[in-house]
Amino acid sequence: MTAFQEWFTDFSNLFYKCFIREDRYKLLLEGIGVTIRVSLLAVLIGILIGMLVALCNLSKRKLIRFFGSVYTDVIRGTPSVTQLMIIYFVIFATVDLDKWIIAAIAFGINSGAYVSEIIRAGILSVDHGQTEAGRSLGLNAFQTMTRIVIPQAVKNIFPALCNEFIVLIKETAIVGYVGLMDIQKAGDFIRSATFNAFMPLFGTAVIYYILIKILTLLLRRIEIVLRKSDIR
Amino acid sequence: MIKVKNLHKKFGDLNVLNGIDEHISPGEVVVVIGPSGSGKSTFLRCLNLLEDVTEGEIYVDDQLINTPKIDINKVRQKMGMVFQQFNLFPHLTIMDNITLAPVLLKKMTKDQAVKTGHDLLRRVNLADKAQAYPAQLSGGQKQRVAIARALAMSPEIMLFDEPTSALDPEMVGEVLDVMKDLARSGMTMVIVTHEMGFAREVASRVLFVDQGVIMESGTPEEVFSNPKNERTKLFLSKVL
Repeated sequence: MTAFQEWFTDFSNLFYKCFIREDRYKLLLEGIGVTIRVSLLAVLIGILIGMLVALCNLSKRKLIRFFGSVYTDVIRGTPSVTQLMIIYFVIFATVDLDKWIIAAIAFGINSGAYVSEIIRAGILSVDHGQTEAGRSLGLNAFQTMTRIVIPQAVKNIFPALCNEFIVLIKETAIVGYVGLMDIQKAGDFIRSATFNAFMPLFGTAVIYYILIKILTLLLRRIEIVLRKSDIR
Repeated sequence: MIKVKNLHKKFGDLNVLNGIDEHISPGEVVVVIGPSGSGKSTFLRCLNLLEDVTEGEIYVDDQLINTPKIDINKVRQKMGMVFQQFNLFPHLTIMDNITLAPVLLKKMTKDQAVKTGHDLLRRVNLADKAQAYPAQLSGGQKQRVAIARALAMSPEIMLFDEPTSALDPEMVGEVLDVMKDLARSGMTMVIVTHEMGFAREVASRVLFVDQGVIMESGTPEEVFSNPKNERTKLFLSKVL
């Protein structure tokens, strides 16, 4: 047998042991489901909170700006694992919600602080003349913001938002801390069950990579549509 | 139609407007001229409260507008404004730029607005640009769209803030032509401009503004050919 054949046999045996035997791949599939669910809901919550906090930070009233800045400050100043555990074991300790929803809320709250800064930058990037044009036509401040400023801001900040989403997906790899079986945790579980580190860890990495690759391609499609009005 | 009483405007410690009294009647085409920094643009922007007023009163249709009691958005709906930098909405097609406000503010249904939009685009000679985006137009075309966009709200008054100052020289004419048409149609207009020839031809009244006050007001004939104020004479000697 050549060296390559030998290596290949070893590899496939290991693969079989780690992923096929005892239906271990099902753990990973379940993990993928958890990661995707938590990430999606967290992104939505993050955008909502981010918009709200960004508007707070841009407010004319000092008190509202203060709340906004405290939020951003505290969330950015503490580790997300700590936040996740505080929200799970303290704040939602007595609340009867699915684990994954609580985790998504925690990640959403965390992401909101970062998204708010991105959105704030985006709103500031839109020329003030746009607001004046909207207001001069008789639109109120809210209509001007939602119909004129935010659509342009979103286009400007889209790459930065994509970045944030990708970071968020990878950040969810810590949900194991509150007992959720996501991709990372499933890989870890296989590692301790098989006493093999190589296969489950690389498997985990490959799965994350593929998920994010798919997302990146999707987001690029959306960006092309957003850039439609730039064609000269 | 517009009455201004003792209008003052300060930016911090800087006094930009120092007591302006002015009455603009329906159908008048008032052209405001003056050196840069004289406060003429600020005066115009105070008329629809894009700048908040430090002191004084502004009445539109006999209604005091610089008071929190009135809905300024309603007042602005009858005052169209055209900016030096066009300020078209770059994320919307030309047609959507024009129909956004009338539809959103429930002045028209989408169908009506699109029909009006086509009429207006024909009027400014851009009938074929309805589906283009602002980035695809030249400066002169953008400014004509901006005029059409303001007209879509069927305003009673049109305010122009140096509408040709950001244009290449060869595009100035096409924008001024549209404005002349508009003046002939009887629209009440207040125009801040450096185009003296245009002022002479179209204005029913010319205001010379300097140091935040109206130094001289009269027909183009009076102001251009026979200025009484020393500062007007000095200014005109430089620009004519």
